[in-house]
Amino acid sequence: MIDLRNQAAVVGFGYVPFGKRGQYAEKGHLRLVVEAVAAACADAGITPADVDGYSSYYTPIDPPELFEAFGAKQLRYTAQTWGGGGSSMCGAFQNAAMAVATGAADYVVVHKVMTMEAGARYGQAFGQMGQGVPSIGGPFQYSVPYGLQAPGQMFALAARRHMHLYGTTTEQFAHVTMHARAMAANNPEARFRTPITVEDHHASQMIADPLRLFDFCMETDYGCAVVITSAERARDCPHPPAYIASAAVGAPFRYGNALMSFYNQPDEDFASSGQRAVAGEVYRMARMGLADMDVAMVYDHFTPMVITSLEDFGFCAKGEGGPYVADGNLGLDGPLPVNPHGGNLAEAYTHGMTHVNEAVRQIRGTAINQVPGATNVLVVGGAGPSPTSGMILTGSPE
Amino acid sequence: MSEQMPGLPGPRPDPATEGYWLAAGRGELVIQRCTACGVHRHPPTQVCYSCGALDWEWARHSGDGTVYSYTWVERPIHPGLAALGAYNTTVVELDDTDGVVRILARVTDVARADLVIGLPVEVHFDPVGDGIALPVFRPRRTGA
Ligand SMILES: [Zn+2]
Repeated sequence: MIDLRNQAAVVGFGYVPFGKRGQYAEKGHLRLVVEAVAAACADAGITPADVDGYSSYYTPIDPPELFEAFGAKQLRYTAQTWGGGGSSMCGAFQNAAMAVATGAADYVVVHKVMTMEAGARYGQAFGQMGQGVPSIGGPFQYSVPYGLQAPGQMFALAARRHMHLYGTTTEQFAHVTMHARAMAANNPEARFRTPITVEDHHASQMIADPLRLFDFCMETDYGCAVVITSAERARDCPHPPAYIASAAVGAPFRYGNALMSFYNQPDEDFASSGQRAVAGEVYRMARMGLADMDVAMVYDHFTPMVITSLEDFGFCAKGEGGPYVADGNLGLDGPLPVNPHGGNLAEAYTHGMTHVNEAVRQIRGTAINQVPGATNVLVVGGAGPSPTSGMILTGSPE
Repeated sequence: MSEQMPGLPGPRPDPATEGYWLAAGRGELVIQRCTACGVHRHPPTQVCYSCGALDWEWARHSGDGTVYSYTWVERPIHPGLAALGAYNTTVVELDDTDGVVRILARVTDVARADLVIGLPVEVHFDPVGDGIALPVFRPRRTGA
């Protein structure tokens, strides 16, 4: 069996400056991606015409469009992993790693983009399905007719159950955003740099009880791209490689289309990010555990889902995620710093791409809030529809 | 279109789901049951997760259950719902099923403070036209 561990690496990343929702609507998706890919290739020391593979998660841009845009001589690999939003994001890196490790392609780009252009904003996409139509089919026929129309409402159901089972509080949710704002305070690119208190959090508008406005990340216009190549080629790139020690997607038994239209999970998975199964895969493939990690990038679209991701990946015991975040464990001086860039909640909501950027910066030693000597970085994909995902990047491939 | 939630679309039945919606239109709650192993499941699927059998039937259910989780939506996506004020969407776990069966629905006739996890509820129906209805729930009057 081929061991994928450390056979591929992230060698470049690029992005357009983060915009507020709708800011880049006129620019459009394709141009945002083209600019991001060009920047990522420059960072990797290659040209976009060298890119012969595209791996993605939920993108509106087809690989042939990019292939044509850059005039590459030959397109050799395309893949799109399943799952919605950023839940399966690390699957795109898993596919890219497999492609370059096997020689199916030399340089694979993972990209992600969002503007108002397509009207496909996540918070509204579900709602729009239920507007101006007399009826709705498919899996959402069991949820939209009841007014469950947005991810925040769905995650509120998991959050409420977690509060019931474990005594988790909305004050603990507040601490997740407070941490993100504290990390973003010195990040000039971050969109939300003002510190907040528990009182500020509680004063923000209730959206879907128990979730308030400050439990939500804010939709961002962005274009992001990352270049992956083989470990052998990576050593010739200008920056220290961030080797992919492991990358996996998955779901536990009976996770279904969790929370979107399926509610029959075992209790410990309903009140979770659904990442127990994938966490085991990520650690097994990397032959490392949480204790080996120096810093973690945890997808933070909604505050309670950070708490449950921490539980799923073993930062604390099941049910103890609330006290864990409130006790200051996420900070730079904590046992395992989380999202030193400010994450989705405070830097920019890019469906996980900026978590990868920050992981690479930490490994290169160039982060604004640098964790000294950071070598092994855990990246956790979003809670949500199956499959969920995770990966470990490392600067030390031995 | 829902009578209780004006502006929201109703369900559009397909061959796998119309039995559920038509039964609700007649005032009955039915749940998919595997004819090979007897396990109940919802939402409807073609394959039994427990034994892999493809054959199934609609089985009548009392409609009794308990609240498993819920949210009160204060800022609705659909503009037509704003006039209703906060509304709940609630996951109800049905009693007496073979295998866990939870249904996303709404609890009616309940004060906000009284909707709690574990609340015993019973089914009733919200007509949406074309002979179909949405199963919804209300606090059980006969006690748990
Ligand atoms: Zn069966």
